[in-house]
Amino acid sequence: MASGGTVRLWAVVASKLVRDLQAAVGARWVLHAPEDLLVYEYDATIERGLPDAVVLPDSARQVAAAVRISTKHGVAVTARGAGTGLSGGAIPCEGGVVIVTSRMNRILQLDVENRLAVVEPGVINLDISQQAAPHGLYFAPDPSSQKACTIGGNVAENAGGPHCLRYGTTTNHVLALEIVTADGQIVWLGSPAADPPGYDLTGVVVGSEGTLAIVTKAVVRLLHKPECTITLLAIFDEVGQASEAVSAIIGEGVLPAALEMMDKNTMEAVEAAVHAGYPPDAGAVLLIEVEGLQEEAQEESDAVQAICRRLAAREVRVGLSEEERERLWAGRKGALGALGRLAPSYYILDGVVPRSRLPSVLSGVYEACDRHGFRVANVFHAGDGNLHPNVMFDERVPGTTERVLQLGEEIMRLCVDAGGSITGEHGVGYEKRSYMSWIFTEDDLEVMSRLKAAFGAAERFNPGKVFPTSKGCGEVSSRMRAAIAKVGPDAYV
Amino acid sequence: MVKQASVLADLESIVGRDHAGAPQDSYQVDGLAPQVAVRPGSYEEVANVLRYARSEGLAVIPWGGGTMMHAGNVPSRYDIALSLSRLDQLIEHEPADLTVTCQAGMALTQLQRHLGASGQLLPLGPFPEAEATIGGILAANASSAVRYAYGAPRDVTIGLRVVTADGHLTRAGGKVVKNVAGYDLCKLYIGSLGTLGVIVEATFKVAPVPKAQSAVSLAFPTPAAACSFGTELLRRGLSLRAMQLLGPLRDSAIPWRLDLDLAGSPLAVQRSQKEITALAAGGVASPVTPDAGQTAPATLACKLSVLPSQLPTLIARLTELDDLPAIEALPTIGVLRASWTQIDDAEATLERVRSIASTLNTSCIVERCPIELKRKIDVFGDAPPSFDLMRRVKEQFDPTSVLSPGRFLGRL
Repeated sequence: MASGGTVRLWAVVASKLVRDLQAAVGARWVLHAPEDLLVYEYDATIERGLPDAVVLPDSARQVAAAVRISTKHGVAVTARGAGTGLSGGAIPCEGGVVIVTSRMNRILQLDVENRLAVVEPGVINLDISQQAAPHGLYFAPDPSSQKACTIGGNVAENAGGPHCLRYGTTTNHVLALEIVTADGQIVWLGSPAADPPGYDLTGVVVGSEGTLAIVTKAVVRLLHKPECTITLLAIFDEVGQASEAVSAIIGEGVLPAALEMMDKNTMEAVEAAVHAGYPPDAGAVLLIEVEGLQEEAQEESDAVQAICRRLAAREVRVGLSEEERERLWAGRKGALGALGRLAPSYYILDGVVPRSRLPSVLSGVYEACDRHGFRVANVFHAGDGNLHPNVMFDERVPGTTERVLQLGEEIMRLCVDAGGSITGEHGVGYEKRSYMSWIFTEDDLEVMSRLKAAFGAAERFNPGKVFPTSKGCGEVSSRMRAAIAKVGPDAYV
Repeated sequence: MVKQASVLADLESIVGRDHAGAPQDSYQVDGLAPQVAVRPGSYEEVANVLRYARSEGLAVIPWGGGTMMHAGNVPSRYDIALSLSRLDQLIEHEPADLTVTCQAGMALTQLQRHLGASGQLLPLGPFPEAEATIGGILAANASSAVRYAYGAPRDVTIGLRVVTADGHLTRAGGKVVKNVAGYDLCKLYIGSLGTLGVIVEATFKVAPVPKAQSAVSLAFPTPAAACSFGTELLRRGLSLRAMQLLGPLRDSAIPWRLDLDLAGSPLAVQRSQKEITALAAGGVASPVTPDAGQTAPATLACKLSVLPSQLPTLIARLTELDDLPAIEALPTIGVLRASWTQIDDAEATLERVRSIASTLNTSCIVERCPIELKRKIDVFGDAPPSFDLMRRVKEQFDPTSVLSPGRFLGRL
């Protein structure tokens, strides 16, 4: 986008598609030189697909124009935020036009009185909370990538995060959306006021992985910051004890704001990277956050400590001040980056099980990894039953990638057999399309496709995602090989 | 009507002779009576009834506890009442998962009794009518003052089983609390008033019963004073589960009552109560004892939604009307219900209410009104900008208008 890029544009013969896009948004904001397009070929994982052109619009009208032009030229449109997604949501599987929202990054309104914000899709998640902080407000969904990921991407994937245990995922915090439809119309869905009449179209666009519409504005709910937050770190000898503690905490009526688990392999990596002070022989740690009024947080903190001690926690550390709390979180937040030290590649999985099945599914995960001969590091949202096994491997060893994929599939099976789901927060994307039929019948999927028909989206937006289909980005295994290798120290869960 | 006998016989062959009949006065919707009422005993029977209706061009209205049948527009056609009363079983409740699955015909009160035995509750309601069923509550997207703490039905529902208009049993969502696999069709079915499918089963997040509970009622001279009091309580993060503003109380110098339901950990509830009392003493509120409130059914009732900051203005305008409404409002949410038990000219009053709503750019849904008036209006008001998409959703989900035809916004 620098002026150097503009100069380069003229050196390439622009297609008719590119010339139309240039006319709509300005030549400077259309990329089509191969070296520029490469940057938009991938996201944080899995898939690659080279776009024909990349557009950086500045307004909903420009997005609508880009959509209409793409339709005229018969190419697909894929929206892209920061590209931090873990299911290939921003990858243009069938080429076409990628609409990047990075210039639409304005917080248009911060309504303190009504506790809401009107934002453009390119606004970074954490920026909303930072802007709202002086008023004692914040935006609750906090995916670990929140310093980089955008609201548009959060809406598309219905992003979660550690604190959605208590506060819900993105869908519970979006009141209204301005969208561009496949026929290039700009339409508002929902309302900043409660209970707007009609079908809840906002609710179905959230989490639709960019296949129904392109979001150009979002009205999001803000929450008051709690008076008191206490962070606890409980250290256990065994993973089994830690998962029993998770069940006990939830079962005894404590609903923490966050309840995260890290296993031995994760701790080992974290210890080497950020020196979080974990005992080298511990089997698992739980990171538990309770909040509310001073009295409530204290009572819950006491209850959690009692439960952890009863279930043989060898130590419970308590963080009260902002600084102490951040120290306890440091290991968790740096976990995935640290894992990069243990193996050349790792494969992040995302599955959900009913909370009571956590102990048995976790042992199933370790058993399967042992059987396939891979190390696994588990770092995940235990309170929600949302597992993230990270399988470590060396893709340079021939045949390894295929075995890792096989293992990943087995682990997903374990989750589904336990009554769970194939994705808790990363999305179906391309990678998990074929697993959709494990949890949904053909009739279920057919009904979902009716929604796509109602939006007139067909395969115009983000084709090849969510639905099981033989069409896609080419040969799966070779693609997956390239993709898994991408998952590195910059990834988040 | 000519076909009535054969329709009854056909439906009897689907659900059994004991579970189909020609209703007398029951199962009426807006004065319309169906030819036949059926009570299927399985999801498959529900599907077969819908397949039959579709092939015969008959219109079906799903029926739960029958407590919300006054909602929505006058149906354009109505042949079969599909009662879910036999589908009233608890399917699965694992307390440690904090989730529950039950059939749509189960009464909320019955489900709460079951959950209560494990120290849990479904954070919906309570509703005045004990017959309100899970399916009906979801179809109507009915909520109560506890949404202050827990959210509305769409926030607590994680999975649904729905029979489509063409008679297929389908699933949306799942049984785990966090799940982003596929489109979240639960959001669409909730609040669709039986126009997109028949909800036959639902899975919810449940919550622990609070360890302590207490109630406070305060009287305020103006709605604005009550609303800003409510906002302050929210800002302080006090242990409130529900907050409701009622008024104007007749013949009272302080005609607005704020009912507060405190819940949470014992010490937090104690402190919240203390702070509320102190705050009230320092201001314009005085403690009152809540009375039972009005019991006569309203002749006209409207639900209006505004941004919370607009609520005092909205209430002020409504109380300037010649026909003074009874008002129940949720101050921090901005939802208001205005109702009239005795009214001379419902049409004229509604016209004025709608004009107030339009000045404030708020939605106004008529929940109850005389049938003659209802036939003339769309109870949901003007179509929103996204109506064209909604129409296309209805066309895709129910192309031949088998389900509750005409009852939804824009007479979908």
